[in-house]
Amino acid sequence: MTAFLEKKWSLAVLIAAAGALMAFVSLTPAPGRGGSLLLAFLFFVAVVEGCIAAAAAGATVNARWVGSVRKELLSVTPLLLVASFLLLLLIPFVDSYPWAGKPGIWLRKDFFIGRNLAFLVLAYVTARRFAAAPADGEGTKSRAAWYLLVFVVSQTLTAFDLVMSLEYPWISALLGGYFFIESIYGGFAVSALLCLLFRGTPPAEHGHGSRSDLSDLSILMFGFSLMWAGLFFAQFLTIWYGNLPEEVGFLARRLSVSPLRELCVAVLFLLFFIPFPALLSTRAKSNPLVVSVAALSILSGILVERYVFLAPVVRFSPVALAIDVVCLLVLFAVVVYKGSREASLEA
Amino acid sequence: MAGPMVFEEKEKFLERLRGLVREGVPGERIRVITPFGVPEVEEILPRGRSKVRFFALVGAASGTVTGFAFTILTSLSWPLIVGGKPIVSLPPFLIIAFALTILFGALSTFAGFLLLSRLPSLRGIRSGEEFGNAFVILVEDGERQ
Amino acid sequence: MGIADRYAKVDRDVLAAMKRPGRVYLAGLAFTATLVVIGGALWAYQVRSGLGVAGYTHPVNWAIYITNFVFWVGIAHSGTLISAVLYLFRARYRTSFNRAAEAMTVFALMVAGLFPLIHLGRSWVFYYLIPYPTQRQLWVNFRSPLIWDVFAVGTYFTVSLVFFYVGMIPDFAAAKQHVAGIRKKIFSVLSLGWKGTEKEWRHYGMLYLFLAAFATPLVASVHSVVSWDFAMSIVPGWHTTIFAPYFVAGAIFSGTAMVITLVVPLRKAMNLHEYITDDHFESIAKILLFTSLIVSYAYIVEFGLASYGENAFEKEAFRYRALGEFRYLTWAMIFCNSLVPLTLFARRLRRNITFLLVVSLLVNVGMWLERFVIIVTSLAHDFDPYVWGTYRPTYVEVGISLGSFGLFFMLYLLFVKNLPVLSISEIKEHL
Repeated sequence: MTAFLEKKWSLAVLIAAAGALMAFVSLTPAPGRGGSLLLAFLFFVAVVEGCIAAAAAGATVNARWVGSVRKELLSVTPLLLVASFLLLLLIPFVDSYPWAGKPGIWLRKDFFIGRNLAFLVLAYVTARRFAAAPADGEGTKSRAAWYLLVFVVSQTLTAFDLVMSLEYPWISALLGGYFFIESIYGGFAVSALLCLLFRGTPPAEHGHGSRSDLSDLSILMFGFSLMWAGLFFAQFLTIWYGNLPEEVGFLARRLSVSPLRELCVAVLFLLFFIPFPALLSTRAKSNPLVVSVAALSILSGILVERYVFLAPVVRFSPVALAIDVVCLLVLFAVVVYKGSREASLEA
Repeated sequence: MAGPMVFEEKEKFLERLRGLVREGVPGERIRVITPFGVPEVEEILPRGRSKVRFFALVGAASGTVTGFAFTILTSLSWPLIVGGKPIVSLPPFLIIAFALTILFGALSTFAGFLLLSRLPSLRGIRSGEEFGNAFVILVEDGERQ
Repeated sequence: MGIADRYAKVDRDVLAAMKRPGRVYLAGLAFTATLVVIGGALWAYQVRSGLGVAGYTHPVNWAIYITNFVFWVGIAHSGTLISAVLYLFRARYRTSFNRAAEAMTVFALMVAGLFPLIHLGRSWVFYYLIPYPTQRQLWVNFRSPLIWDVFAVGTYFTVSLVFFYVGMIPDFAAAKQHVAGIRKKIFSVLSLGWKGTEKEWRHYGMLYLFLAAFATPLVASVHSVVSWDFAMSIVPGWHTTIFAPYFVAGAIFSGTAMVITLVVPLRKAMNLHEYITDDHFESIAKILLFTSLIVSYAYIVEFGLASYGENAFEKEAFRYRALGEFRYLTWAMIFCNSLVPLTLFARRLRRNITFLLVVSLLVNVGMWLERFVIIVTSLAHDFDPYVWGTYRPTYVEVGISLGSFGLFFMLYLLFVKNLPVLSISEIKEHL
């Protein structure tokens, strides 16, 4: 198996196989296929773009922790092309959006798919340029900055177009920002997991004043859990307080039905009430068990939250969803594995 | 008591301090005075992490509890429906509790610092003994109380 | 130069700033004090005659006073960012700015706190806002954003004051050795008898870390609470979820610009080029650029989403903002906040201190205009066209605003001559 993975063309083969499988599953005319693919796409794009964004953000501020997992994080770049392919598979699904019957200037099928696709491809191009630059080279910071600009626009468009327009005419101005902060949050969680997997546990006898890459990443996860909670509360409080029917409907549909209400509470726990207290103490920030639990909690929280966003308005097919998610996770694991092999060969 | 050992340079000061500990002088009898915080001193004379952090924790926790208790109890004591919001409306009360958490935490940490460092110290305010920017080691005799 | 001489030089350089004031300083002090007196007199006139003399009438009941309040609270945030947040990130370049930044925070909050009082009109009933057991058994309305402001800004002021003072305790102890007379007595008392024993430094280190950790969430939360003064209403142009992070980024943006505006002349006047270098300014310029991008993002999202959707009121509110009576202010705001800072992408311009000073002044103006535009245009033109109106400031408001600027700069000038303007012990630590 590892011999197969070592081959240069193995990734292309796997991508082709996964792509064919997902195309087959989602294009079959059965209810729930498109919705499942949308959910898998949203989660996947958030995590992939977030990983690269975490590395890019680290590069712009000369953060030290980036060096240890940079190669692995940037190895996910080709998956942005996979994401673009998935977006093309979603074209038939776009017809089920509420505005599809009466398109306007902004919400029309061709422009809708076109701009999202364009920014995904642009994200791939800028990510590739950033990944190709040496870690501490001259132009690396500016390439990282370009990627970050494209990333912000790409995630903002994903939020406003793919998610917010499902509930048209509901508006939340913060949704774009909320999505890209969650994406970077997920990126830091993945970075922490990669650091544990590939760089091992830091030595136990660290004085409490010194740093390690893992503890830096834990501090970032801790800080972002607070930031996430703040952004969540900003949206919730504004909608709750204003109590306007056109806004509150969005919350009501998700808080009044039984499985969704419990899932909403679960999201709060997974994205804040578990990572925040877990990573509070200094010792916990270097503890591999605590950090991996927090990171996995964050990643599952993002997935469950995307589900909660889509659930009242989109139909899912559990089988299709499982197939899509598994295919994408396998691809993710393979590229990261290959990236780490490359890194250890270089070292 | 032997006179204070005064050093202009940090490295020489640290060397002498390590020497004293190696000679077997008990840590409790060594006092140092520095113009800024020197982390190596904590390694040479380990005294455990400062207990100020407990003041912070207790203060912050009491702030949260006070914030919620105060807002909820006062709302229930004169139940007026304002703006169509429930009498006990947690999102706004959370904001008050958050603010009080930080306020009580900060103030109690400051109080803890003053208590544990025995400040303000009248002797320190009136004392004429000034070392400037020097690093000083003072070893107290065993007999002094 | 031996290390002992370098320490002594830090003492000398910082304390040189506190020697007898020159003519330029005294002129500045006199000018700002005059503005304060004029502002105070106009406030007395307003208390006697009512808010109408300040141009407040239906429908625009919140205008320049609230703009000033939000502006000054925003300025304060940047000081805390530099002193507390950069401390947690272990950014070394912070030590040259942090004392000046903390002072800026405390004085900005003092000035900000005046405006709710001025805006009450009947300023003597300010105690209605304080939750105490009243004779009527009535408590304050905790569901109101205005009460959240009381708690948030009050907490922020207290914590910032404590942080500012705590940072100066070792510096008072160091400074008292070089001054004489009444100043020596005052510094001795303020230093609380600090000697610099390892016990004191150990507890101090943990205190400083916790204060920085407590102050950091305040940077985000206080201005979010201030933004919710507007976002909790249903007024078009105000009721939007993005206000909290948008205002926080705007606060850091305007505050960073004010830091540059204050520190560039300070460095020149007190010869502190060795401590506050061009590298420091470049780092601050990057923060300015970054927050400008966030503010521009918010403008694009807000204007974009106004035309999206079926909310005619929102569409009209933003059309009025861009093309209505106050359009020149809106365009000036976009120019100063979004376009001018883009020039800071060029490294050469980031390191040109005069250019930075000009940019910072434009940003200060632009951010003041932004708050004004948000508040006044939304109030002038909300749901029902029959109640649309306009707003014209009067000399009373303008005079009080100028008085508030005068108060801030006067307090800052007094600080510069009487308290250590750089953080002495931290600079020595990093030598």
